[in-house]
Amino acid sequence: MTGTQAPTAAEKRFEQAVRPEKPFNWFRLIVTAGVVGGFLIGALSVDANWPRLTEMPGELWNMAVLMFGELDLADVPDAAESMWESVAIAWLGTMIAAVLSFPLAFLAAQNISGRVSVGVTRQLLNVPRAIPEIIFAVALIPIFGLGPLAGTIAIGLSSTGTIGKLSAEIIEGSQRGPIEAADASGATTLQRIRWAVLPQVMPEIIAFWLYRFEINIRASAVLGVVGAGGIGTMLQQNIEFREWGTAGMALIVVVLVTIVIDTVSGMIRRRIIRGPKTKTSSARDTRTDAMF
Amino acid sequence: MSQVEHDDAGPPAASTAPGAQRPKRPRPSPFLVGGFAGLLAMTIATGADWEFGIGFSLIEVWDGFTRSNSPMRGLAEIDLGSLLGSRARDGFLETVQMAVISTIAGALVALPLALFNSKLGAPNRVAYALVKLFNNIIRSIPDLLWALLFVAAVGIGALPGILALFFFSIGVVTKLTSDTIDGIDHGPVEAARASGASHLQVLRVAVVPQVLPAYTSFSMYCFELNLRASAVLGFVGAGGIGAVIDFYRGQGQWDRVWGVVVGFLIVVIVVERISMALRRRLL
Amino acid sequence: MIRFDQATVTYRGGVTALDHVDVEIPDGEFVVIVGLSGAGKSTLIRAVNGLVPLTSGTVNVGDRDVGQLTKRQLRALRADVGMIFQHFNLVDRTTVLNNVLMGRLNRVPSWRSMLGWWGGDEVELAMQSLEVVEIVDKAYIRAANLSGGQQQRVGIARALAQQPSVLLADEPVASLDPPTSHSVMRYLQKVNRELGITTLVNLHFLDLAREYADRIIGLRGGRVMFDGPGSAADEKVFEKIYGRSLTADDVLEAEASL
Repeated sequence: MTGTQAPTAAEKRFEQAVRPEKPFNWFRLIVTAGVVGGFLIGALSVDANWPRLTEMPGELWNMAVLMFGELDLADVPDAAESMWESVAIAWLGTMIAAVLSFPLAFLAAQNISGRVSVGVTRQLLNVPRAIPEIIFAVALIPIFGLGPLAGTIAIGLSSTGTIGKLSAEIIEGSQRGPIEAADASGATTLQRIRWAVLPQVMPEIIAFWLYRFEINIRASAVLGVVGAGGIGTMLQQNIEFREWGTAGMALIVVVLVTIVIDTVSGMIRRRIIRGPKTKTSSARDTRTDAMF
Repeated sequence: MSQVEHDDAGPPAASTAPGAQRPKRPRPSPFLVGGFAGLLAMTIATGADWEFGIGFSLIEVWDGFTRSNSPMRGLAEIDLGSLLGSRARDGFLETVQMAVISTIAGALVALPLALFNSKLGAPNRVAYALVKLFNNIIRSIPDLLWALLFVAAVGIGALPGILALFFFSIGVVTKLTSDTIDGIDHGPVEAARASGASHLQVLRVAVVPQVLPAYTSFSMYCFELNLRASAVLGFVGAGGIGAVIDFYRGQGQWDRVWGVVVGFLIVVIVVERISMALRRRLL
Repeated sequence: MIRFDQATVTYRGGVTALDHVDVEIPDGEFVVIVGLSGAGKSTLIRAVNGLVPLTSGTVNVGDRDVGQLTKRQLRALRADVGMIFQHFNLVDRTTVLNNVLMGRLNRVPSWRSMLGWWGGDEVELAMQSLEVVEIVDKAYIRAANLSGGQQQRVGIARALAQQPSVLLADEPVASLDPPTSHSVMRYLQKVNRELGITTLVNLHFLDLAREYADRIIGLRGGRVMFDGPGSAADEKVFEKIYGRSLTADDVLEAEASL
């Protein structure tokens, strides 16, 4: 090969190069077709009053103006009292769920209980997890009457599933070493749970109770819509009867109280998981931090 | 163990040697005492029968559950046949339609919002702060409250339900996705910037591909949430299977209420299983 | 006296961890068991307190046949046999004292241990155990805040709180650095000499084994390859136990100089 032929060689190399064909992405086609098709079929077939959608922005604006333009501070005491009832429902409901779920969590943990117990308890915990609080509430109202008691029990029952399942997972995540040490010192099953498992898992379980309390506040704020106590009743009735100023004040109280409780509870949770401050920085369990 | 502190390597003294003083038992930490007191105070304040408590009583709970009552009688005579009726069928169909439409629309809006809701993806601080504020407000309003507002705005039916779930989806998918964006690999972002890409181009080629699997997974998770939520929207007039449950409840036909609830449970659990299997593959 | 008689352990999956082992350990002896990982050291030690049941053969601790005990009797045996672990196995989140009190679980009524109502005697005993390993000043500190060597000393104290007649130590220094390793070994030796507790220690490092053992038992593939005084175990013996020539990894001090 001589120098003058070099450009030709380079050209040849490009000509001879085998370029891979661009693969056809079936997966992308299927996903796109599914998303677009699903949306169109759904939107066309659903019995929704689509034309009214055009009115929505104007209506929302009007509502916002009415709600936040006619705020009256005289509504604050009522709104605060109703919100306190929602907080009370959420708190007591979480307490009930904590008490009910605690023994169940050990029965559902694979490193503590036998296979049958784990299987049965898991299924038992799955049911309340899948049913929304409102459905519990409407079923409890004929039994306990309108008011906060029905709401409290509804929150308690439906949270038992989630708290129980998560507590069981926390228990399963505990270190095996201390359990082996307890066994090697001749401990019974109960003693093993009390001294090798509880100290490991209690902070995380309590932190999750608090986290669930935060979520339950959101739930209890709307339970009043079906008459199960709390600020939901005030919201629903004032929106229904177009008392926009009062509804707006109730909405503001809900949002503010939710944010404040989230913040305080979040700080307490982090402190519980981290443990007391110490001189030497100790290894932390990052798994639980990621969880919340 | 990360500690580097070495023990004294000298020979151990005889066991009777006067060693370190025994420490005094420390007082329990103020956090523990305060936490326990707070827990007790909160429980008493909320549960006691006074002006600001709800008057919780175990006896009342026991009486309620042991007394004959229509919901529990209905549970005993559960009517699964109600699932086959046209009312339940239409209700389930509407629930699925509502969940599909609102999840897809909400997730599409959520992707750009999620980009702007992260420090890495936001073009400037003002956009970041605005999106963050918008998203925080959306998320602090429960789904049923959204439905209540939209029923007031556009009347009863499936439309307010779809709108409520739409906003709810925006909140959920935006929050989860933007949390993921904060944790992605900055290498490709740097590389794209170094090649002179604009901010939007950087987002498109370096950020979106990295979060796409997680984003898809969160959208599917949101579909599960929407399906579950759609069971309650009907109680405020926003359509779906909840309207059917509310109808039978109004009639006092608890056997049918429970039949529909069981059907709903099956749908939710089946969808959850499928979605979880798909999502596990995705990540 | 601990006596293994044709002791055999076969795990599910067909791995034989102990293969017809016959060993007699008189009271008060300090025995070091050496061998590669997988040679059956851990299994041998765990057979003594029944954490691993034998597939065939017998283990006797004193006059008790470990395989024939009821659950309650087995717990009583375990209370009489202290154990120390490679990863210390402390509950990180609770105090050193609570960890040591775990050693008393078998000796207090169940309902009292549930509530954590330890008697003054129990606490006194736990404190004394901590004094033996000279770490009593940390009694009310959370275990997570101790160094590795300190945690292992708490592990020894927990075993001592059981007032055991036998002490088992499963690779007690494998997670520690060389100076700390010697410190822990000296505490084990002190406990053995001053309290007369029969001590079985699994070790990987042959120089540590030679330095502290009254007697060395070498295992390979679940069989006893060597059984004799520490002074008799020279490099040839170790090469026979390990089935290969020795490397720097087999001695503690070489590692330290790396």
